[in-house]
Amino acid sequence: MSKHEIALEVNGRPVSATVDPNMSLLELLRTEAGGLEVKLGCGEGVCGTCTVLLDGEPVNSCLTFAVQVDGRAVTTVRGLAAEGELHPLQEAFLTHAGSQCGFCTPGMLLTAKWYLDRHPRADREELRSALSGNFCRCTGYTKILDAIEAYRDARQEVSVVD
Amino acid sequence: MSTEIADRDATIVAPEQASPDASRRGAPVHHRDFVEKVAGTLPYADDWGFPGMLHGVVVRAQLPSARIVAIDTSAARAVPGVRAVLTAADVPHNGIHDEASGLGVDAIQQPVLAADRVRYDGEPVAVIAAETPGAALEAAGLVDVEYEELPGVFDPEEALRDDAPAIHAGGNRYVDWRSSIGDVDAAMRSADLVVEETYRSQRVDHAYLEPEAGIGWIDSDGVLTLRVSTQVIEHAREIAEILKLPHSRVRVIASYMGGGFGGKEDMTIEPFLALLVWRTRRPVRMVWTRQESLLARYKRHPFTMRYRTGVRRDGTIVAQDVRIVGDAGAYPLLSSRVLFAATVNATGPYRVQDARVESTAVFTNNVPTSAFRGFGAMQVVFGYESQMDRIAELLGLDPAEVRRRNFVQRGDLRVTGEPIDTGVGVGECMERVLAELGPPSRPSGPHSRIGRGFACSMQPYGRSVFFADRASAWIGLEQDGTMVIRAGVTDLGAGQAASLANIAGEILGVTVDRTSVHIGDSALTPLTGGTFATRQLYMSGNAVLKVARSLRSKLEPVAAALLECEPAQLSFEDNRVSVGDRSLTMAEVAQAAEHQGVMPYVHETFEAETGEFDRETGRGRSFPDYTHGAHAAEVEVDESTGQVRVLKYVACHDVGRAISMQRVEGQIQGAVAQGVGYALSEDVELVDGVPSSTLFAEYLIPSSVDLPDIRAIGLELHPGKGPLGARGIGEPPIGPSAPALASAIQDAVGVRLQRLPMTPERLLDALQAARGASGSVAS
Amino acid sequence: MYSAPFEYVRASSWPEAVDLLEGGGEDARVIAGGQSLVPMMMLRLAAPSLLVDVSAAADRSVDLVDAELVLSALVRHADIEHSEVVRGSCPMLTEAVTHIGNVRVRHRGTIGGSLAHGEPTAELATVAVAEGATVTVLGPGGERAIPAGDLFVTHFTTSLEPGEVVTAVRFPVPGGRRGSSFQEIARRAGDFALVEAAATVALDEDDRCLSVRLVVGAVSDRPVDVSQAARPLIGERIGEDAVGEVARAVAAEIEVGPHTHAGREYRRRLVSVLAGRALLTAADRAAGAVHTDHGNGARA
Ligand SMILES: Cc1cc2nc3c(=O)[nH]c(=O)nc-3n(C[C@H](O)[C@H](O)[C@H](O)COP(=O)(O)OP(=O)(O)OC[C@H]3O[C@@H](n4cnc5c(N)ncnc54)[C@H](O)[C@@H]3O)c2cc1C
Ligand code: FES
Ligand code: FES
Repeated sequence: MSKHEIALEVNGRPVSATVDPNMSLLELLRTEAGGLEVKLGCGEGVCGTCTVLLDGEPVNSCLTFAVQVDGRAVTTVRGLAAEGELHPLQEAFLTHAGSQCGFCTPGMLLTAKWYLDRHPRADREELRSALSGNFCRCTGYTKILDAIEAYRDARQEVSVVD
Repeated sequence: MSTEIADRDATIVAPEQASPDASRRGAPVHHRDFVEKVAGTLPYADDWGFPGMLHGVVVRAQLPSARIVAIDTSAARAVPGVRAVLTAADVPHNGIHDEASGLGVDAIQQPVLAADRVRYDGEPVAVIAAETPGAALEAAGLVDVEYEELPGVFDPEEALRDDAPAIHAGGNRYVDWRSSIGDVDAAMRSADLVVEETYRSQRVDHAYLEPEAGIGWIDSDGVLTLRVSTQVIEHAREIAEILKLPHSRVRVIASYMGGGFGGKEDMTIEPFLALLVWRTRRPVRMVWTRQESLLARYKRHPFTMRYRTGVRRDGTIVAQDVRIVGDAGAYPLLSSRVLFAATVNATGPYRVQDARVESTAVFTNNVPTSAFRGFGAMQVVFGYESQMDRIAELLGLDPAEVRRRNFVQRGDLRVTGEPIDTGVGVGECMERVLAELGPPSRPSGPHSRIGRGFACSMQPYGRSVFFADRASAWIGLEQDGTMVIRAGVTDLGAGQAASLANIAGEILGVTVDRTSVHIGDSALTPLTGGTFATRQLYMSGNAVLKVARSLRSKLEPVAAALLECEPAQLSFEDNRVSVGDRSLTMAEVAQAAEHQGVMPYVHETFEAETGEFDRETGRGRSFPDYTHGAHAAEVEVDESTGQVRVLKYVACHDVGRAISMQRVEGQIQGAVAQGVGYALSEDVELVDGVPSSTLFAEYLIPSSVDLPDIRAIGLELHPGKGPLGARGIGEPPIGPSAPALASAIQDAVGVRLQRLPMTPERLLDALQAARGASGSVAS
Repeated sequence: MYSAPFEYVRASSWPEAVDLLEGGGEDARVIAGGQSLVPMMMLRLAAPSLLVDVSAAADRSVDLVDAELVLSALVRHADIEHSEVVRGSCPMLTEAVTHIGNVRVRHRGTIGGSLAHGEPTAELATVAVAEGATVTVLGPGGERAIPAGDLFVTHFTTSLEPGEVVTAVRFPVPGGRRGSSFQEIARRAGDFALVEAAATVALDEDDRCLSVRLVVGAVSDRPVDVSQAARPLIGERIGEDAVGEVARAVAAEIEVGPHTHAGREYRRRLVSVLAGRALLTAADRAAGAVHTDHGNGARA
């Protein structure tokens, strides 16, 4: 197996690594980029715990090889806010108890953020279907949706004021 | 008078109805772990590493019943980077799990690694440690096991036959329980109507999103240390026995879990990790794949429940006769206790003067079954609630009215002969959910039918009282007034650690941001017993409450002297101790105390109430207390495809007193989600002991679009036995979903399903059977 | 989870991809979105020796040319989902892709990969057959066009020759009073389908059926074109009774393969229900009637 030199951006920071082709993006992030917030829940693309944004779009980091993302930009949940701070969506999850065990939370937050960026006025049912590929075994989703809606509303108020 | 606080829709709670401290208790309290979870920075078991660590994998049998003729590990050992390949012969004491019931059921040891016999598909036969995960996996594929296939038995009823192949030396009948009160046969004869039905539940996977994981190493003190995703750090002792080490030489640290639900109550990776670390003297990490977890991790017991109920014409139950058979799979684990819980809870929240419940746990060559949220007491909810609906149907009565006539009250006896000694709020919960569903929805298409149903339940919290349960905790104040709590609790994600901070804070006035909670370390935190049986709030909560009160009474004289008042006048709030407008900071109090030689810390033990249970007669004290509740649901059924959509869901429980109403709601909603999956879609299907799939894609836990918003209502009606009057809420809300949905489906399309899960295919079959094949429609 | 080792190269054009595949030998495979191939590799059900990444071989272009909708093989499910051009010219595609997996799968998975994979439940395969699409293929021997109906052979097997790549998929865009419908039932939203039915109906000025196509997916080893069974509808006004008869006939005759979690008879019944719904909905849409919902099986 020949090694490949790759360079990508993770949460705005350059990361370069020498990888075997069979290293997954998930493993790259967890081992080379300190991205332990990217979780392996199934390895099949169904559960969503490994969600990251690749050039702004949600993908399965468990089903993407690191070599495939050479030159691209990856965002994990830690890229949502500056180090030591929380993004308002994260705050909303906290306030509304959208996280219990927390294992689904990074993927949930990224999917929600991506979707609301594209559909700022998405209603609850649209949000529900956008999240259909991010499983949560703890919350029953109700408080997750509460949190996302609260963030959406707060953001809209801000933009109206602007 | 009942008080409801912090309802999800907070606006509907009029201020005068809310309890005075509702705003404080309802206010979000962001314990550290929750902040880190949303930030993505909380480390889970799989996130720890050591330089030079090895990677462990388990080699598993690929057939359900066989004799092991030989194991050749030479090819596996030859893989570059492999550091250990261990088989049964390498395990110092190759047996886990003594008798678990606490009531003297015969002990059957489960091997850590199968020695001469494989009893289920996926049973561990070897463990490997290697420098890279790739090498470990490659070696796993090269372990050559020679099997002689043996006949297996996969159906519990068949396993009970005399000619069935015996899975263990003592036969396949693992344990029988029997409890009775009054004279059930005579009472049955006196009944106006006897209703007999059989209900079946299935094998279910916990499907926590974090697969089993952990890391082990030998620490600088020479102690074998494991940091794992576990509900029970006390397994340290069991691990020591396996390695034939003194108990003091093994330490288990529980990481925050990515979900447990009972699935991390028995050991998962611990014994394998321990063996590999001890043998290689190197740090080792082990993570099971999802597919491995689905294959071989212990599941929920499938039950067959036969209910025979004698009733009077007005719906009053006069006799209840229940027979339960549970599939234990290949090893005992906690089956004796699960079936015990099923037995004593099988009659539900209904008066039973004459009743008998019998149950049997049976060995089969299926994957073992053990603890899972609801623990035997949830399967029976489907039995007794379906039975109540059937009674109402046959008598032409309102199902709510039939229940009202039979609800237990404080002081009534259970089938075990013990009285219910706290208040019973099940009736209020039922009335509440019936009122909450609102106007019926309109069908979305010409083939859709709308239906509604509800179900009630009474599920225990706390361990069986004959275990004489105990939990210890330590609380101290630092010189700067910050608080330290130490308790061996494990945190499943339900806010176990956060609750302790809340409880201690309520007594000592130290806020959560100035509190550190150290949990889950068998060497450094006082032991509390594991997080299971909805016991943690009850046990550790009470322990922390007791310690906090005791520390407060130590500090009060110190503060009173400084503030020149009576101890009783002091209030502890917001990190200050005050009387009127004079106050001291917690730091000042802590410093003054130490200065005076009053050490500002306390360690104490809470002892749960105890009682005796006689296994022979099936009478005595079983569980300390119960949480009551009711759920109601509205569904839409597509008559031509059998698909069921849950449109509305309301769940109400009497929680006694909510330590955090938001967490109570979260527990209810999460349990309902699992309950709905259990009712409609989840099933670990085995064909002769072999799973038809081990893909997560094919194990149908509900996704966001499979569930409606779940309206969770926590009522504070009757104080329970937890701290400050709280009742456990972790498990009880999982029971009523299946019967509530069965009844809603029946309301919609007229057929009642008695087997779980209620899949579209089963529903369509039942509809066709009910209508005759001619009635089918094309579009 | 770790796949077996392999070599990896990127192709910057389709011809280069063909060359690289040829040079890579028997076990070389194209990787596009990887959403079918990578899970198989991770579960060790596939172990290619070389992966030729085609994601940079061409643009993800969507073009409407000469009454044809031409999709680059690299067009992703999400591109289809959000394309107004697709919605306007071949709405069945738009309707079908929302049933595929989840947002992450739809952002990586490609139409070329979906068709080349030969999975009998693939929505896009069923649509391609129903809409009479043509697959453009480039191989060592040059370019050729394969009608979608001839592409699918059996489970995970297509009529692509070794070394051939799919470069584009062409959907005819006929004018006139035409409607289509894609119906699906899966065990859970986004899961692979238990049954799919895709129908197109063209009507004359008098609301009589000019032509009809009906394809059933996910029940056999490939999409099954059962348009023949719908012929009695031609020349008629399409109504529930006639459609019911067609649907029952289709369900009675179609070969239903085994499924791990669902019985044959159950899926046969679903064929009848979905075929009926697809035909009626397509006819309604053709008539431009106020959209009546004949009950979509999806839970989404
Ligand atoms: C959780 C999950 C759920 C899914 N659900 C669905 C679903 O409901 N319906 C559905 O249809 N699909 C589903 N998929 C599969 C998904 O749609 C895939 O994206 C698609 O089937 C294959 O496209 P791809 O680009 O990812 O192909 P790849 O995985 O890259 O390749 C698949 C196969 O096609 C070959 N190939 C790819 N591109 C070309 C080309 N241009 N020329 C020749 N050969 C090529 C590859 O060599 C490989 O053999 C699901 C996947 C996941 C992970
Ligand atoms: S781990 Fe990637 S989707 Fe589950
Ligand atoms: S919070 Fe545990 S899985 Fe979502």
